[in-house]
Amino acid sequence: MTRATQAATFFGITATIYLALLFQWLPITLPKTVQDFTLPVLPWWALVSFGAYSLGNIGYHVLTFRDCPEAYNELQVQISQAQSDLRSKGVSI
Amino acid sequence: MPLPSTTTTSYGEFNSSSSIRTPSFSRSESALSDAISIDIQDDTTSSFTPLLHHHQPHQHFNNMAGQNHKYSVLLPTYNERENLPVIIWLLAKTFQENNIDYEIIVIDDNSPDGTLEVAKQLQKIYGESRILLRPRAGKLGLGTAYVHGIQHATGDFIFIMDADMSHHPKFMPEMIQLQQSKNLDIVTGTRYAGNGGVYGWDLKRKVISRGANFLASVLLRPGVSDLTGSFRLYKKEVLSQLIASCISKGYVFQMEMMVRARQFNYSIGEVPITFVDRVFGDSKMGAMEIVSYAQGLFKLFVAV
Repeated sequence: MTRATQAATFFGITATIYLALLFQWLPITLPKTVQDFTLPVLPWWALVSFGAYSLGNIGYHVLTFRDCPEAYNELQVQISQAQSDLRSKGVSI
Repeated sequence: MPLPSTTTTSYGEFNSSSSIRTPSFSRSESALSDAISIDIQDDTTSSFTPLLHHHQPHQHFNNMAGQNHKYSVLLPTYNERENLPVIIWLLAKTFQENNIDYEIIVIDDNSPDGTLEVAKQLQKIYGESRILLRPRAGKLGLGTAYVHGIQHATGDFIFIMDADMSHHPKFMPEMIQLQQSKNLDIVTGTRYAGNGGVYGWDLKRKVISRGANFLASVLLRPGVSDLTGSFRLYKKEVLSQLIASCISKGYVFQMEMMVRARQFNYSIGEVPITFVDRVFGDSKMGAMEIVSYAQGLFKLFVAV
């Protein structure tokens, strides 16, 4: 099963359950507040939550992004070592 | 998919990356060389093990030296005249210091800047058994470059990396050690975990990189932190099989290799690496790269 199929299955099942609850297709009685106020906004809540999580995740990882100047400096030194060594051996660089 | 850099192109990774830390290498490297010097002596008395014998987990870096494995480094190049000598010098230095058997296979796609001429000079210095030149007639893509390289590889393990020095050979001993300790099929360098890091990226680049990686991890759930990296160690037969099953190009190709690896249940390990954005030549990332990345990602989402 591809990732797309998995995602489609997940959303299909979730949507079916949600719609069944929202339109009261099942013989289940939810509390009136849940039925009238929570359910209608639940998808938007999920969407906003996911968006917030995504932004938080990306933002956190950008902020904790570590530059590595020491790797750059080390490389610069090694580049000049390599070049002088190779030039002395006759490589045209 | 177009390659990331347009002028002086190397087969790069999606040069979008994210947070990484410095390598704490001073410590582990000294531990490494200690272990090695001990081991060289040990191994002179021990008998040879067959080539395909996989070592059981060890607590030390002990079969780094005197091992029977050979590592083939595939270096696809295009206009890397300035970078190639330095990267080969660094590779040779690393392998010699760690007593690792190696060969470097340069696959040059007919670079107009004379990369191949420089490679020939290097071959004279290091020898034809160490540096193999397997040029091709033109730019034919990364996947076929690896296929081409593998055909000529005599090692049982293959390293793939960029030739533009954004990947430093100093991480290879640690990748080898991790592979051996767990008998892994693949070890991939990661810029996104542990002591990994990136040098030379501005805020915009970091945001794009992190966003791209987040999107990929949500859609593909690959189980590795750096999907688009291209500094990796493979068992030879694993790499052959993965390449044969991959359909993408460019950095999406690197993502697909990881996703297919998960599909085939190959074991994958990660070693934090630092990524220094190319010193010589341009590294560009524009809107086109982002669009083709998104397209490639979606194709993988649907296909794998």
